[in-house]
Parts: sequence; C-alpha cells; structure tokens
Amino acid sequence: MKSVIIKGLANALISILGASLIIFVISRLSGDPVSLMLPMEAPKSAIDALRQNLGLDLPIWQQYLLFLSHAARGDFGNSYRWQMPALQLVFERLPATIELAAAAFSFSVLLAVPLGVLSAVYRGLWIDQVGRIIAMTGQAVPSFWLGLVLILVFAVGLGWLPAFGADSPRHVILPAISLGWYPVAAQTRIIRSSMLEVLDSDYIRMGRAVGTPERLLIWKYAFRNALLPLVTIMGVYFAAMLSGAFVVETVFAWPGLGRTVVEAVFSRDYPVVQAGVLITSIVFILSNFLVDLSYSLIDPRIRR
Amino acid sequence: MSVTSAPTPSAQLATMQPFGVRFRLKGVPWIPLFILALVLIGAIGGENIAPQDPNGLNLAAAFRPPFWQAGGSTEYLLGTDNLGRDVFSKIIVGARVSVIVSFYAIIFSGAIGTLLGIIAGYFGGWVDTVIVRIAEIKMSIPGLALALILSATLDPGLTTVIIVIVFTYWTWYARIIRSEILSLKERDYVAFAKVAGCGPLTIFGRHLLPNIFNTLLVLATLQVGQVIIFEASLSFLGLGIQPPDVSWGLMLADARQYITYAWWGITMPGIAIMLTCLSSNLTGDWLRDLLDPQRRQL
Amino acid sequence: MRRASLLILALSLFGSAQPSQAQTSGTNDTLTVAFAAEGTTMDPARFSAGVDQYFISQMFEQLVRFGPDLKPVNWLAKSWSIQGTPDKPIIDVHLRPGVKFHNGDPMTSADFEFCFQRLKDPKVSRWTHLQANVEQFEIVDDLHFRLHFSAPDADYVVGNLQLWALPKKYFEQVGDEGFAKAPVGTGPWKFVSRSIKEDIKFEAFDGYWNKDARPAIKNLTIKIIPEDLTRVAAFKAGNVDWIDAVPLSEIDNVKKMPGVKTFTAISGNNLYIDFPSYQPTSPFNKEKVRQAVAQAIDMDAIIKSVLFGQGERYEQIGKGSTGYDANLKPYPYDPKAAKKLLAEAGYPNGFETPCYNLTTPREPNIKEYGEAVIAYLGAVGIRCKVQGLEYAAWINLGRRGRNGPPDMDGVLMWMWGQGLPGDPATPWAGHLHSFVAGKGWGSYSYSDDKKADDMVEKLKGVMEPEQREALIKEIAQYAHDNVLGGVTTYRPVITFAWRDKVDFRPWPAANWRNFQQVGLKN
Repeated sequence: MKSVIIKGLANALISILGASLIIFVISRLSGDPVSLMLPMEAPKSAIDALRQNLGLDLPIWQQYLLFLSHAARGDFGNSYRWQMPALQLVFERLPATIELAAAAFSFSVLLAVPLGVLSAVYRGLWIDQVGRIIAMTGQAVPSFWLGLVLILVFAVGLGWLPAFGADSPRHVILPAISLGWYPVAAQTRIIRSSMLEVLDSDYIRMGRAVGTPERLLIWKYAFRNALLPLVTIMGVYFAAMLSGAFVVETVFAWPGLGRTVVEAVFSRDYPVVQAGVLITSIVFILSNFLVDLSYSLIDPRIRR
Repeated sequence: MSVTSAPTPSAQLATMQPFGVRFRLKGVPWIPLFILALVLIGAIGGENIAPQDPNGLNLAAAFRPPFWQAGGSTEYLLGTDNLGRDVFSKIIVGARVSVIVSFYAIIFSGAIGTLLGIIAGYFGGWVDTVIVRIAEIKMSIPGLALALILSATLDPGLTTVIIVIVFTYWTWYARIIRSEILSLKERDYVAFAKVAGCGPLTIFGRHLLPNIFNTLLVLATLQVGQVIIFEASLSFLGLGIQPPDVSWGLMLADARQYITYAWWGITMPGIAIMLTCLSSNLTGDWLRDLLDPQRRQL
Repeated sequence: MRRASLLILALSLFGSAQPSQAQTSGTNDTLTVAFAAEGTTMDPARFSAGVDQYFISQMFEQLVRFGPDLKPVNWLAKSWSIQGTPDKPIIDVHLRPGVKFHNGDPMTSADFEFCFQRLKDPKVSRWTHLQANVEQFEIVDDLHFRLHFSAPDADYVVGNLQLWALPKKYFEQVGDEGFAKAPVGTGPWKFVSRSIKEDIKFEAFDGYWNKDARPAIKNLTIKIIPEDLTRVAAFKAGNVDWIDAVPLSEIDNVKKMPGVKTFTAISGNNLYIDFPSYQPTSPFNKEKVRQAVAQAIDMDAIIKSVLFGQGERYEQIGKGSTGYDANLKPYPYDPKAAKKLLAEAGYPNGFETPCYNLTTPREPNIKEYGEAVIAYLGAVGIRCKVQGLEYAAWINLGRRGRNGPPDMDGVLMWMWGQGLPGDPATPWAGHLHSFVAGKGWGSYSYSDDKKADDMVEKLKGVMEPEQREALIKEIAQYAHDNVLGGVTTYRPVITFAWRDKVDFRPWPAANWRNFQQVGLKN
C-alpha cells in the first residue's frame, strides 16, 4: 500500500514539474507584456526600467529557475495588473470554480445514473432511445452555446433563473447544467453497459430465480457493481470539467479561476496565468492520484 | 482497454477481408451523412453559393429577423446580425473553417499521435516510458487552458488554431493506438516478420498500420465533433479564428451582447455546430459498430 | 435510497458558501452603485491606467481639478502661479489651510513633497518621466512650496499639477503594505473595506474640508459588475441605484424606464485611423490618398447604426477640449470625390492594403466600427486585407521602433485619449510628431512632417493657457489640411443611469465616476 502511495506521489510530482515547465515557457513566449502595462506615451526608458524590475530581461531558462525557486516557497510573484500576489488572487477565485465543477458533476451524475439504469433495464424501448438522444446532444454542443441558449430561454425569456454572477445559490444552476451536460453521454453509456453486464450475471439470475423483487435486484445489487467503472471515468471527465469551466465561467460571468485566467491571458499577466493554470493542473493531478488510490483500495486486484 | 487474449477484432476483420467489410444498407445513418454532405458543399462552395456577401456590411439592414418572423424576408433567410450581414451566408462560409480545421487538425494530430503511439507501443522500454510520461504531463494541463496560452503566444488565427488542436489532441490517438499496438505486438505474424529480418518501418507499414486502420478511422470521425467544438470555444473566447474569417464560434461571440435583441444570432450558428457534431458522432458510432462491434469503450 | 442521498448531496452543494449577497440599496444612509471595471490599486503614486482613478479619486485629491463645468478650479491649492523665467519656470503653490487627512493629520507641503518623491521613484511609479523636468521641490513653509523646473513643461500644468496629497506621517508609520490595506487621503470618502473583483465600501469623511461640495450620505458601496447585461439587470431590479456604462443596445430601454435619470458625456477617448504617411513607398505618402480616406467614410452613419448614436464626431480637437475650434469641420463624406482623388493620385482602380482592426472591446462596439470603416474604404477602392487583432497583439503592432517584425504597413484603427475635458499635447507628441528613436517622440506615429514636429515640440514648452490655445488651433488646422497624424473619427460617449431618489452631480474626475456630490432624496 505504502509503495503505491509513494509511487503515485512521485509520479504526481514529476507531472507537476513538467506541467510547470510547459506552462512557463509557452506563456513567456507570448509577447511583451510591458508595453501593455504602461501608458502609450511612456518613453522607452520607462519601459526598459519596468522590464528590468520585473526580471523579464533575463534569459528564459534563468527566469524559469527563478520562478521555480520562488514557487516552491509559494511565491508566484505579483500580478502585473492587480499589484497583489498572484497566488492569493488564484486562491480567492479557486473555490468558486471547484464549486461550479462539483455542481456540474452532481448534475451530470444525477442525469446519467437514472438514464443509464433505465436504459439498461428497459433496453430497446423508447426510454432507451430518449436517453440516448439526451446524452448525445450533450456531446454535440459546445458548453458555452448550451449556456447561451439556457440564458436565452430561462433567464431572458422565462425569467425563472438568474443569468450572471454568483450572488445566490440559484445562480449556479444554469452554469452547472451547461458545464455538466457533456460527460452525461459517456457516463450514461458506461452505466448502461456495465448494468447490462451485471444484470446478465449469474448471481443476479440466481436472485431472480429465488424470487427476489426486481427492484431490489436492480438498485441494491446490480447498481453497486455498475458504479465501479464510473469511478474510473470520473478522473477523465473532471479534467474536461475544469477545462470547460474556462468558457462557461466567461459566459455566465461566474467569478471563478477560469475567468480570471482568461482575462490574465488577454492582458499577458504572466504571474496570474502561470499560477492559475498550474494550480488547476495540480488540482487535476492530485484528484487523479486520489482516484487511482481509491480505485486500488476498492479493487484489491489492482493493488500492485 | 483492448482484449488481450484473442486477436483484436480489428485485426481479425482486416485479415479476413483485406479490402473492407460487408456493408449492410439497413443501419446506414442517412440523415447524418446527408448533413455532413451539406457541410462539405458549404465548405467547398463558400461565398460562391452564399446568397449574400458574408462580410457585406449593410447598416440599414441590421437586426432583421429570420424570414418566418414579422420583419424578416427571404432575402435574409435566417436574419441578419448587428451590421446587416446575412446569417445564413455566414453559416455557409463558416462551414469552410470548420471543415478546414477538422481536416488538417485530424490529419496532423492523427499522424503524430499514431506515430508516437506505435513507437511507444512497439519499442517499449524507456522510449515507451518517455513518450507516455510526456503525454501524461501534457494531459495534466486542462486542454483549453493550454490552448489559450498557446494561442496567445502564436498570435490567434486559422493556422494557430490548427496547431493548437494538434498539440492538444495527439495524446488521444497516441494512447489508444499504443494499447492496440501493445496487444498486436504479441501476434505471430509480427514475430515472424521480425525473425525474417524486417525492419521496424516495414513492420509498422505492412503489419501494424493495416490492423489499426479501422480504429484510426473511427477515432478520426469521432474527433470531428470535438475539434469543431474546440475551435468554436477558442473563437468564442477571442483567441481562435479572427475576423474577417468567419467561424461559427466567432458568430456566437459577436451575437452574445445582443441576446435580448436578436435571438437568432446565437441560435443559428449553434444549431449548425450541433447538427454537424451530432452527424459526425452518429457516423462515427455507426462506423465503429460496423468495423468493430466488440469495441464499445472508444 | 441511493438516489435520495445523491440528491441531498447535490442540493447541499448548491447551498454552499457564495461570494456575496445581493444588497438592496434602500436604507437612507447607503448608496449602492455598480461599476463595469475597477481600479487595480488604491495608491495614487502606483496608478497605471485610467481605471485606477475610479477608487483613487474618491479618497485622494490634487492641487487643481476640473469642475462639473469642465473648467479648472483650484482645489487643494488655494492659489498658484507660474514664476521664474520662461527657460526655468517655477510653479509657486499656496496650499489651502485647514485640510485634514482621514486620520486627522493636517495636510502640509511635506505631504506633497512625499508624493513627488514617490512619483519619481521607478520602483513605485510608472510615470516617472512626467517628473523629469522638476529639478527641485522647495518647501517654503507648511502651506507654501515651489517646484523648480529645469525646462518649461506644459504637460505638468495640463496634468492638474500632477501631485496628490499623500499622508507622509501615516505612510511612514504603516509602510507600503499597511497603506495598501488601509489607504488614507484628504478626499470626501474614507476607505472602509474592499473585496477584490466584488466591491469596495466607503464612508463619508466628517472632517472633509469642502463644505460646499461634499456627499450628503453616510455610506457608499461600489459593486463591480463587468457583465453589461447583469449590471443593467441589477439596476432594473433595484439592487443598485446607479450604474455606469449602460451598454449601447440597452440605452433606449433604460432611458424609457420611469423614475430614472441618465447622463451622457464623452469619456475622454479619441479614436482615429492611421496609416504610414512617412513611408515613401506607401500610397498613403500621397496627400490626396489621405484626403480620400477622410472623405470615404460616412462616420455619421456609423455612429448612428453601429454605435447606437453613442459617439461624437470630432476633427482633431473635440468640443470642450483646449483649442477647440468650431470652424474646423471634418472632411465631408463624399465617396465620388474620394475615388476622384485616388485617381488623381495615380490609383484609378484603387489599391490593396493590409488593414488592422482591434477586436477587443476597449470601447463598446469598436470591432464593428472598424469593420464598418473598412467596408467604406473598400467601396471607394481601398481594398483591405483585414487582420483582426486582440489587444496585446494590437498594441505591439502599433508601437514604432520595436526590434521585432516590420513596422505596420497599412491602415491602422487606433485611439489615443485626450482626456477630460481634453488636451491634445501628449497624444500629438505620440502620434503626430514623427518617430524619433530614443527621444520618446512619436512612439505610435506614422507621420513625418517637419513643420508639425516643430509646432508640437514648441507646444510642450508653452505653459500660458491663452498661448497654448492659439498654438493648438494652429496645429489642428495644419494637421487637418495635410491629413497628418491620421484621420480623426469619433469620441465615444458613455451613459450613466440612476434612480430619481439619487441626487447626483457629475464631476469629471475618473471619467465621471466620481461621487464628490451625491445624496439620497426622501
């Protein structure tokens, strides 16, 4: 067990380091931020002075090493725009994104589980087809478009739900639906196929032969086993959620990390871009690690 | 997640029928194929078949609703945007961007991903470890985030979008192809080829590629939808296709602020995206069922 | 069973901690307003963009400022004058007695000297070059000081004498970080708290020096709502009672709302079209081509349709700005004449040229305005190969003298604000004066005319207001006649809206987002 944890953590650390290198190099190459930070009439001397102040005149590999040594101590530098520590800004915004991702995930599970189970139980009937269609639309529309349409219908048209911002609990509903619809297709499919497999298995058949009520068979026995593959897929789709959050947050003006990073990219606010993307990657890497760990806990066969 | 004991269905089919598979006309997804054909026609025809000039400003004709609403006309079938440009024409021309981006992105990401997947799977050892590790590191960065910073670095535009998508999606191919190769590697004919002195390249080309071809085809078709959505998201955020190029995602971004005014601005391009993606997904599903009935985990 | 627990889990997530509560602005001593953007710093010496003034101007004050009628009025300076010699002028300032900081400390000359030192410090200020000509800050006594200049510097006067009242003693006690957390100034509003990207709260300063022009309510909350439609929705719902930047498409709706007042004014930005007239090989080197551009575009139509009327045409200098000449009118919209001019210049069939358009909405609908302009140019034969650029790429493209890719070689949609009420000296130094590497002239300029250069350089040294006006008029006429420094198009206007119960008098500081005089009627 211990070796699994250590190995996993070591892998995670390598991934984090590699990710930081990629993020750093790519963002630093994206052009000169100094002329954006100064008024247009600033003379070259002011621009050069600011560039030197920020350490942007050093060669890239030196900048990267400096960045690493500071980052290890939790110092990602000050945001160029906000003149406050970048990491602090990121941590202030991160909870909102996690909240959105969690809400979206709950929605997708809430939708996928019944759809998957019912599709399996009533295979071939109209429920199966309807389920398939609902799931497929999720994979065929961009999440931001779904968001725009939801806004159009429920906020502008019917006025039932709020469109932008995060002022009340109801504000999370539309963004969560937009973000959460995409994985529903895959999740439904997985639940459906693993349910089908399990429903066909010997001990379920035995249960039927013995006379156990169908309902109990489905929900108490089959369902539990069908959930296992769902756990595996969680990891993959969590990344998609974090990624999709960038766009959905922009559409709904959700005050999360994604929106902050998008703005920072536009204003070439390197410290915030680096801190934001790296923290998101770390969240993802760590959650993967936890999923792997829990998987190996659940299924002793994997625990090697 | 390939079946490790039996030969892959893909290989089975390929060796049984080297030129393809028997078609059953019954299950063919006619409507999706028809829609895809329309998209292709739109892409090829572009401005030539569009009723209006997609970039033709006409301030007097701004915000005309679609033809079935009061105030609309058949001149502007799906209405006009805030500068009087015909939405229908823009959708037709936007198809071109979608097709171009899909085509090049899939070819390049498929080629690179497949090559790396084959190399990793075939050679194993440290080559495998390095490639897998690089892929893992790249995948740990949320796709859109990486795309954003890459776009900003390379100056947004059509070429950049393609490069960014290739950068993001090669791992998708690499991973699946690698696991296929891992199982194919154990086949007898591969061992025979090695013993007979065939170099790796020959083995790749003559023995491995044909057997993974079907998988590649399915992957490529399924990727179309994802690529279109990805490009739309990038353009929507402002770091994708730039004007005057027309993209469905860009149309959505422009129409966003007029959501209370002109509902058609954000519905029509989105429907185009949805229909195209649905069609390619359904076609991909059908292809997969056709070529590879056992493999449902793709 | 499982379904129920999943449901509960989901619902509990929905109710978790939310960033802020919607506030109703109903109590009689609090006004809640909404801004579309927020300042990045609350330290006047660290200010870098116009947006920063949104918060700074509520808490801090300068020696001179512009009143609601856009005329300069002595503020913290009781009186000031220009003395010394024309070559080495001295600005002599007498401070107003009895002004206190929020923490009770009296305002003295030392506080201005402190600000001067900070503005000169490159580690703090991004505007050090503005203090370059001040060679000495002489404190005569607590309410009297002199600025000794090594050379005449008109920009200093134009910039409200630059200096802010910064509490030296307090700053030295709490340091940079302490000051950033709890800023203290002389302004009518005292800092209470701030939640970045969400809101900032102020309290009226009881000991404020100006008894005639001051707020009449106790508390002010500024919420930050960058989303246009959300801001309007919050206003309609009554969550906020005052908003800035009503989005163009909503202005009519908002104006029609009962019990709502609106105010529209220019926001201080000036947009124009530039092209490389300095390049001998460029078509724009020929004056007739430039004149053709000026006559090819129907700006009035663009303002009406694309900008929903939210723009004001101007030719070189806008109305209300220093040197405005009502007789200097823009070139008329005449596409036939434009085509004729092009033919006379040697382009009977027009020509192709790259055209660069900004796609990031620094001003509302600026991308669409650019597209419209490009369409008009195409109609007379100037066929654009359009490239849309987002802000960072656009700034980097326009800057002269980069070591990177070749200079901009076509039509460039650009902007350079003259401010409120407006003075062209600094913008002209940047885009009318030719580019001179290393000297700071023409950093974004595509013109090269000796006479214009001489006049602009002269303007920098003329500090007397009437002389400046006359010289500015002369430069404007010259630039118009020879189409130098680009073709000026429009100045964006901005609309504010508030409920009838709010008694608001607009002061121009911070582009009208200043609550010098505001109250709640009963």
